[in-house]
Amino acid sequence: MKRLSVKDIINSPLAVSTEKGEMVFKTINSHLQNNEKVIIDFKGIDLMITAFLNAAIGKLYGNKSYSSQFLNDHIKLDNIEKEDISLFKDVIERAKEYFEDKEAFENDANEMLYGKD
Amino acid sequence: MKIKIPNKITSELYGYNQIIRFIKNASDIKNTTIELDFELVSFLEANLCAVLGVCFEILEKNGNEIKLINLQPKVERIMRKNTFLIKYGYEALNDFYQTTITYQKFTPDNDEGFNNYITQQLLAMPGFPSHSKALGKAILRNIFEIFENARTHGSCEYIHTCGQYFPKKTDKPLHFTIVDKGVNIQENVRDYLKKNIKADEAIKWAMQKGNTTKVGDTSGGLGLNVIFEFIKLNNGKIQVISADGFYEFDKGEERVTLMSSTFSGTIVNLRFNLADSNSYYLEGEELDDDIIF
Repeated sequence: MKRLSVKDIINSPLAVSTEKGEMVFKTINSHLQNNEKVIIDFKGIDLMITAFLNAAIGKLYGNKSYSSQFLNDHIKLDNIEKEDISLFKDVIERAKEYFEDKEAFENDANEMLYGKD
Repeated sequence: MKIKIPNKITSELYGYNQIIRFIKNASDIKNTTIELDFELVSFLEANLCAVLGVCFEILEKNGNEIKLINLQPKVERIMRKNTFLIKYGYEALNDFYQTTITYQKFTPDNDEGFNNYITQQLLAMPGFPSHSKALGKAILRNIFEIFENARTHGSCEYIHTCGQYFPKKTDKPLHFTIVDKGVNIQENVRDYLKKNIKADEAIKWAMQKGNTTKVGDTSGGLGLNVIFEFIKLNNGKIQVISADGFYEFDKGEERVTLMSSTFSGTIVNLRFNLADSNSYYLEGEELDDDIIF
């Protein structure tokens, strides 16, 4: 498994912006696209906010080919501080809801435009 | 032209009504020299210099030249310590007890600058909770969440910030204010929901977990709620003023109302209780290695 250091990717101990989350997402995604397994290592990250995690991790749910099982098989998280655990849980739960709603909305919109399959 | 600054610049509804009405009236003044008369200002919550900063930004953008006059000694002292007055010809004053977080304004793309500002000033503050790493981290997270909100939702030119700490008070309160003059919450929520909504209801909607006006390939809707949940536990305060909406959660009580004037942007004022002895993670909480996603 390939170890990805978040601190090295964003070049900072502060994971506090959407843009930095995007950098992590791009790195993870490039490995997943090649069906490679990764360990996302948060060692050295002093602070994280929801906007960062939404972009880094939550955005993975936007790719329909990444099921929960696929993500669980291909991604391990390491060195998460105890204080940040609830943040991860909230972000993942919220991302699942967001992209399920988005899909339902898009299906309704398509049905309206093109009729039922 | 001489204009009197309102007498109390404080974080009560009355104080916000006064300063926001002042800002709205001042927005019409263009291309002149203005003497801002502080004669009536007997008290100023120093962190609200972030609101004054926006006011002065508007005046200067309208081609006005600003001079400050008749500052009372106590008010002048604190505004020199937090460096707000430096631009207007006053000398800085040493913040011997390191209780101020200086007034600054940031462009939205300067998140590194904001990072440095907060880590250098807040973490260097004596008394910034040494008894609880988790508390300190939670406070920092809250501040960065608000800044990120202003960056991504406000579409503004500048974000103004300022803070003040009171280590001798029982709760050791740390006040921090972030202000942007950009797209306000009512506009964002109205555009997203595609229906009219009052400004106070819009703020209340935005505070709820899962509600976001972000669209696209990234989820959202957690930031304000994370702050709200923390403030509840910490026995702190959060105030959000946007358009003519006023939202406050203070010591367990929520208040939502409309103001008598409108602010074209968003003010977030936070009070953290640094004497808080709660722990901020659940003992034994873990992420299951196999079933995270």
